[in-house]
Amino acid sequence: MMSPMRNALRLENVGRRYGLRGSWVLRDIDLTLAPGELVRVEGTNGTGKSTLLRLLARIDAPTIGHITGRPRTAYVPERFPSALPFTPSGYLTHLGTVHGLTRTAAARAADEWLDRFGAAAHARTPMTRLSKGSSQKVAVAQALLAEPELLVLDEAWTGLDTGARAELERAVAERTAAGGAVVFVDHDPRRLAGVPDATYRVHDGTLERRTEQATTPTGPHVVVEAQGPPGGQLPSVTVMSAEETAPGTYRLSVPASHSDVLLRELLTARPPWHVRGVTRTDAPADHPPAQEDPR
Amino acid sequence: MTALLRYQAALLVRSQRWLPPFILYAVFLGVGVQGGQPVLDSLGYTAAALLPVAAWLVRVCVTGEPAAAGHCVAAATGPGRAHLGRLLVALGASAVLGAVATVIVTCLSDPSSSDHQTRVPPLPAGAAGLLAVLACALLGTAVGALTSWPLLRSTGRAVPALLLAALLALVVSGSPARAAVSGLVTGSRSGTVEPPLLPLAGAALLAAAAIATACALTSRR
Repeated sequence: MMSPMRNALRLENVGRRYGLRGSWVLRDIDLTLAPGELVRVEGTNGTGKSTLLRLLARIDAPTIGHITGRPRTAYVPERFPSALPFTPSGYLTHLGTVHGLTRTAAARAADEWLDRFGAAAHARTPMTRLSKGSSQKVAVAQALLAEPELLVLDEAWTGLDTGARAELERAVAERTAAGGAVVFVDHDPRRLAGVPDATYRVHDGTLERRTEQATTPTGPHVVVEAQGPPGGQLPSVTVMSAEETAPGTYRLSVPASHSDVLLRELLTARPPWHVRGVTRTDAPADHPPAQEDPR
Repeated sequence: MTALLRYQAALLVRSQRWLPPFILYAVFLGVGVQGGQPVLDSLGYTAAALLPVAAWLVRVCVTGEPAAAGHCVAAATGPGRAHLGRLLVALGASAVLGAVATVIVTCLSDPSSSDHQTRVPPLPAGAAGLLAVLACALLGTAVGALTSWPLLRSTGRAVPALLLAALLALVVSGSPARAAVSGLVTGSRSGTVEPPLLPLAGAALLAAAAIATACALTSRR
């Protein structure tokens, strides 16, 4: 299940309009999504962000242009309906099998993800009786449970409580670390700040790559002090800064969403790293200028 | 595909939106079929009444899944396959409904020709009835697929179109449903059973074409 995308998803000269005489929602879109890439899409309301995401998820076909590549895709819609005649557990088991899991694996993954998002208590409540927030947790779990190669999130954080929002950021970090691509739209500019490999802006139906990278990402950070084995490689996780404090000992700073991924990678490396300390800081001001870890 | 069909079937069964078309069919049969009537006449009626019901079941399956939930499934399987799942579950439901009705009607009817003079063996009659029912289920599914999303999206246009198309499918000469039903009814006059194989093949072809068209358009509109 952890296989990286068989092939990257590519949009070439893609345009989309609705109806035969409708105006163009998007045109001349060129975009490549490589395995493991995290992409943020911005734009004011009604500019075609959702249309772009539906094209990427291959739910919509382009009116002109080509899309190539078929990664296993999961999609979280902007507004998830609660009018489904299932319990969250039942619905997620169905969706898990639709995504290709066996029934047992799907049922297990369903419980696991509901638990991770703090909705285990509602696993057997009819979905029509769920609150908007719990319903959104089901929407997010639906997309994550089959470990997709491409995850498309259309305002997936909206409606989630604080704990679930952080959990979703961690899930995104896990997905990209496992070689999956993630594309997201979110109205909060601090969402996964500094982490995306690329940020695009939808404007007047076209896509512009934003070059002014947020070089000073705000938001909570986790600083990990770790001692590598002789000749050990620095992990490939997006590290904000890496500073060698003593020979073989590093001070690694990552966005809080990526701390688990970093620690997992350090501890499961062969030979493993030794973690000397983990601290959480809210302002990463005392760090040297951010540098993206080359992949 | 199995998982998709299971999901769509669960959605249909648990939503209870299958109930109105089922009740309509029961009413149709209650009005038109009485015990002791000639078996082939009753089976012809059973098949004909299924066509609009099958079309309605397609509408139930297509509109029953909220759009956003449909998008989640479409991302996983592709929108065409997701729609195919809906249509096949609707077809399956109407085929099962028609088959059960055929068995009941065959048991209740008089195994004889229209003038009650010639004996009509119930087993071949029931088998011919099953084929006719299947032909009508297929054609009804075709009507439903062509008169709902993604081809017609506004309910105001889709429902009249569905009713009109279902009516036409029953009366227009050359329609496989009409051929299947009239084959049973004319067979009843002479007391001979002719399995409507050709109408069934025609209905299957039309249904396949309609389903393919609807599925191909899912990502285009």
